[in-house]
Amino acid sequence: MSMATEQPTQSLPQGVYLEKDIDAGELTVNIGPQHPSTHGVLRLITTIDGEVVRDIEPVIGYLHRSKEKMAESRSLFQYQPTIDRVEYLSAFFDHYVFVTSLEQIAGLKVPKRMQYVRMITMELNRIASHLLWFGTFLLDLGATSPMFYAFRDREKIFSLFEQLTGARMMYNYYRFGGANADMPEGWLEGALDFCDDFEQRIDEYEAIVTKNPIFLDRTVGVGVVDAETLIAHGVTGPTLRGSGVALDQRKDNPYCCYDEVTFDVPVGQNGDCYDRYLVRMAEMRESLKIIRQAVRQIPGGDTADLMRRRAEGDEAANDIELQIAGQKINLLTYKAPPGEVMTTVESPRGFLGCYLITDGTPKAYRCKWRGASFSNLTVLPLLMKGRLFPDLMAIFGSIDVILPEVDR
Amino acid sequence: MVFNDLKDNKVTSGMVEIGRGLKTVSQHMLRPPVTLEYPEVMPDLSKRFHGRLTLLTKSDGSDLCIGCKACARVCPCVDLIQIEMHRDSAKKPVIDRFTIDMGRCIYCGNCTEVCPVDCIKMLNDFELADYSRQALVLDKAGLSLSGEESDRYRQTHGLEAQV
Ligand code: SF4
Ligand code: SF4
Repeated sequence: MSMATEQPTQSLPQGVYLEKDIDAGELTVNIGPQHPSTHGVLRLITTIDGEVVRDIEPVIGYLHRSKEKMAESRSLFQYQPTIDRVEYLSAFFDHYVFVTSLEQIAGLKVPKRMQYVRMITMELNRIASHLLWFGTFLLDLGATSPMFYAFRDREKIFSLFEQLTGARMMYNYYRFGGANADMPEGWLEGALDFCDDFEQRIDEYEAIVTKNPIFLDRTVGVGVVDAETLIAHGVTGPTLRGSGVALDQRKDNPYCCYDEVTFDVPVGQNGDCYDRYLVRMAEMRESLKIIRQAVRQIPGGDTADLMRRRAEGDEAANDIELQIAGQKINLLTYKAPPGEVMTTVESPRGFLGCYLITDGTPKAYRCKWRGASFSNLTVLPLLMKGRLFPDLMAIFGSIDVILPEVDR
Repeated sequence: MVFNDLKDNKVTSGMVEIGRGLKTVSQHMLRPPVTLEYPEVMPDLSKRFHGRLTLLTKSDGSDLCIGCKACARVCPCVDLIQIEMHRDSAKKPVIDRFTIDMGRCIYCGNCTEVCPVDCIKMLNDFELADYSRQALVLDKAGLSLSGEESDRYRQTHGLEAQV
């Protein structure tokens, strides 16, 4: 680091100048809040010494939209659409925790068919979210093609969601005790087509990336962290599983219908960026497995079949388990009974929780969100200490933080 | 032996892997494009699409809305839908003012779900950009569909006829 020692020939204009000895060798650099690689608005105050990062301090809050406070001024149904924005890459999970929290408080029953629809949509959403991570992670490391391929396949999932819910990212589809409409005819077939197609695509991704020598150099042995540290920081999801802990809510505490399908929980061994990459790629394959089984097992089958059976006067087709909601509630006047519950699910980034207190009024008394990204971000300074500056994007990308979920 | 040396060699294995990646990438050249030439080719949207809001009318073009304000009450954006109404001598509702600020709407579809007479609905129209915010505040005339259009909408969306 060199600095000009001679006096400036021109006198500086009047103003306040920082008199700081920058010869000490350490330099403070601000990354963000507007930086393409921070995937949102995150500011990282980085102290670097040459190329080596000495300290890093994340500054959050740029995307705070007071989602928790909003719950207290809106009725439950009125609040529901805004939940999509808590974490917009996997909005079905946010809706699922909120809706199940209320269902548990009010004792609303969800028909089996709708539980399967929820499971299929959540798994598709997990793939979409991991795909976006895959594209941007590799883009940060300098690979451009995976980004386009990931967006192409994500688009297919989004058109499925658009047929089902009418929106591509902000779904507002689940309702207390079910969903707002049944699947369109032929939707399940579309989901199966996507699975067949994506199976080949993911092989292509792996052919391009998994053994690529440049990618290996940038990720193997980078950002190594052991499981104890991660658990101490409350890190969950693929980041924790990359360090060898098979902690997955879907297996340990099966919600929805996850106990009726078989799947594996992929874990890594070394806890470096490469293992976290492998875990997420394997998870997409597991999600495909779950979707295939769910489509095979869904009660009632395709909507076209069900409608035909209903038209023919088949009594069994009008069973409560095949309806779109277990109990019709009046969304305008609905008051949840007083109660308090905490629900967590396994979102693409880890444990996503909603702590809901209702007090018998149409509004929630308190709605607290536990986002996985917030805890996951806390290990970033630890992982970055002493690493080279270019590793920042590899490490930050590999823990897959999404900023709206941090700030809420 | 020589083969093993070659396999363990980082340079050769790296070259093999890069070759494999290039092969996969170049295969894409022969595939049909997946993008849409957007302004010329419109995307194929489903019936459930959350687009611009509209007010359906009866077949003869008169107001279908009964002014119950259910839509305004479930809207997450407070005060976005503004309705003023009175009842005429025959106690029939007359809508004086019905405005929706599309610039603030989040296209959630809550309002369409609670309407008791299936009056407020969503169209497939998503090209709403305009030069001023005021132009996005739609009044009753801007929102309403004509009688024939409403009938067509009800037909394609499987809603009951309203006369
Ligand atoms: S779509 Fe949602 S935000 Fe828009 S007017 Fe209807 S309820 Fe309000
Ligand atoms: S809910 Fe329907 S009928 Fe009632 S005010 Fe709104 S548009 Fe009119």
